[in-house]
Amino acid sequence: MLSKSQARAFFFGGTGIFSVAFIALTIDSMRKLPNQTNSDNITEEVKRGKHIWEDNNCMGCHTLFGEGAYYAPELTKVVERRGKDWIRLFLKDPAAMFPGQRKMVQYHFKPEQIEDTIAFLDWCGKVDSNGFPAKPPLAQRLAATTPIAPAVLLPKPVPAIFTTAACIGCHSIAGEGGAAGALIGAPPLDGVSTRKTREEATAWIRDPQKIKPDTKMPDLVPAVVSEEQLTEIVNYLYSPATPQPVTPPKP
Amino acid sequence: MKFKSQKVAYWFFASALLLLVLQILYGIIMGFARVGMEGLHEWIPFNTARATHTNLLVVWLLCGFMGSAYFIIPEESDNELYSPKLAYIQLISLLLVGVTAIVCYHLNIWEGRKFLEIPRPLDYLVVVNVLMFIYNIAMTMWRGKRNTTTSLVLFMGLFCAALLYLPGMIHFDNQTTDSFYRWWVVHLWVEGVWELIMGGILCFLLIKLTGVDREVVEKWLYIIVGLTFVSGILGTGHHYYYIGVPKYWLIVGGIFSALEPLAFLGMAMYALAMAKKGGRRHPNRIALTWTLGCAIMSFVGAGFLGMAHTLPQINMYTHGTLITAMHGHLAFWGAYAMIVLAMMAYALPLLTGRKLWDTGMANWAFWTSNIGMVGMTGALAVAGITQVNLERRMGMDFLVVQKEIEMHFIGMLLAAGLFTIGITCFIITFFRHGKPTDEAIGNDPAENPTYNVS
Repeated sequence: MLSKSQARAFFFGGTGIFSVAFIALTIDSMRKLPNQTNSDNITEEVKRGKHIWEDNNCMGCHTLFGEGAYYAPELTKVVERRGKDWIRLFLKDPAAMFPGQRKMVQYHFKPEQIEDTIAFLDWCGKVDSNGFPAKPPLAQRLAATTPIAPAVLLPKPVPAIFTTAACIGCHSIAGEGGAAGALIGAPPLDGVSTRKTREEATAWIRDPQKIKPDTKMPDLVPAVVSEEQLTEIVNYLYSPATPQPVTPPKP
Repeated sequence: MKFKSQKVAYWFFASALLLLVLQILYGIIMGFARVGMEGLHEWIPFNTARATHTNLLVVWLLCGFMGSAYFIIPEESDNELYSPKLAYIQLISLLLVGVTAIVCYHLNIWEGRKFLEIPRPLDYLVVVNVLMFIYNIAMTMWRGKRNTTTSLVLFMGLFCAALLYLPGMIHFDNQTTDSFYRWWVVHLWVEGVWELIMGGILCFLLIKLTGVDREVVEKWLYIIVGLTFVSGILGTGHHYYYIGVPKYWLIVGGIFSALEPLAFLGMAMYALAMAKKGGRRHPNRIALTWTLGCAIMSFVGAGFLGMAHTLPQINMYTHGTLITAMHGHLAFWGAYAMIVLAMMAYALPLLTGRKLWDTGMANWAFWTSNIGMVGMTGALAVAGITQVNLERRMGMDFLVVQKEIEMHFIGMLLAAGLFTIGITCFIITFFRHGKPTDEAIGNDPAENPTYNVS
């Protein structure tokens, strides 16, 4: 049986050996890290963005590289997923984007602070994180078994206003986007011309609460969408739709 | 109690319990937020509640560790504490720093790095505070009549914990480097040097409560803390899988973190074996219950549930989900909260001279809080597994999935209610003991041969 001095030797010896191994691996990681994280691309904007990230304890709700608090979405690849326009609009007034949903603090960011935050998140998204977050492995298989609702899709490309006004966050357009729509019952905009008249659609976008007081649709005109842009939106929605070959929608 | 100065431990324990109550309160605020009741959002948004909840945990556990050290070290080194006055100054300043940090969180002032949220200027005060503590303990040991392995391991744990706080204070512009060294603090604390502290306290309690020969108990202590470091140091790699450092961490972290449960398994087997072997029938049964409970629950929470998501193939999908919260709750409860509560249950009758061991209330406290915590862990597990499948594997939107799992948090709140009842019973028992008194010196049943039946 082991004596006490042997047990002590095991403790100090083991601790010593593995501490040295750990430090050696740390030194190697620090050598490879600048390349793997594109540290040359850490601009002043990115640095300021990191400060904003920390000064507001964003990790207290969100996760980044999977580290954080699981109360709000993982943001590692958020710029790739949502696009910069969407994030710009979202950070201006988070609650307006997801009415009646889990709340994000309104930080009243200045436009340049929003740009810094986006630059930081964009840099994070380009770090080689060994494949995290993984593409959902079952999504493809599910999409193959889901029946396709709209046979008629709006033409592409979708005008920029749909992204800058963040319509695409809730509504799916031309078979794409609409991630938040399922939550609040926002319908796809494909085929809206078959359901409503042009005048009805215009009046609805201009003041949704007037028609349906409890609607989750935010009041966008004129704060985010001007009268001219409203006309542009409606023109697009009522443009002649091209029948689409039936393909599974992207997950 | 052998020495007058051990009485300072009481005030550390009482403060720790006060902070625990606050921690539970902020946990409940988060629980309600998760079922959609965000009434406090304007004043206590989720990130404030979350930072307060986790930081209070750290501070109350540290407070408990310090109280335990102030009780154990004089007894082990057979000497009065070097300076009780310094200990009181240190306690008051620790509480002041803690309260200031929490107030800051409510004003959106912080450093905003998970678990290390306290604003940088306060970091320096924490360092000064811990240095005072280490100095006090070190001087007590230095002037002591003997130095035991138990006190040495406990001291090493406390000293390394102080040392490892420093890498967390360096600023980096690169988020990956920032995260890398943040884990030197967080991981090497809770899966490294804190286990030394836990092992030291456990060892002290086992010697006192079971009467097994010190040489035998301490030999096994070396083996177990050795296992902790052999697996735990490179086990840090399980935090490095996906933050932007080389792929070899997937292999290193995977293998060594898979060995981490061995240390906890060893701890549980060792505690049970010693309890069985011991010939002493110490009258403080509830302290032994907490001690053995701690050894078992730390294996279940930290060892087994940690193993459940530590391999990189699984962690790819569970990383950053409620699965981590599930593991975190039972791990911290089993390994660290329970050892501090065990120490309180052991020390209180000795500090106050009131033999309130093994009362109905004390037993209620043990069972209700444990069943409550297991229930909370279960609710988080079901919510976490559902989240992983729907969001990470099927690709559903984050908020849609959160809506789906809302009802599990009602379960969690119910279990939290049970847990709170248990902690309330513990606190009532604590205060029924009254204040520490010098009259309690020399009444230690562990020193009384009539309790030894073998």
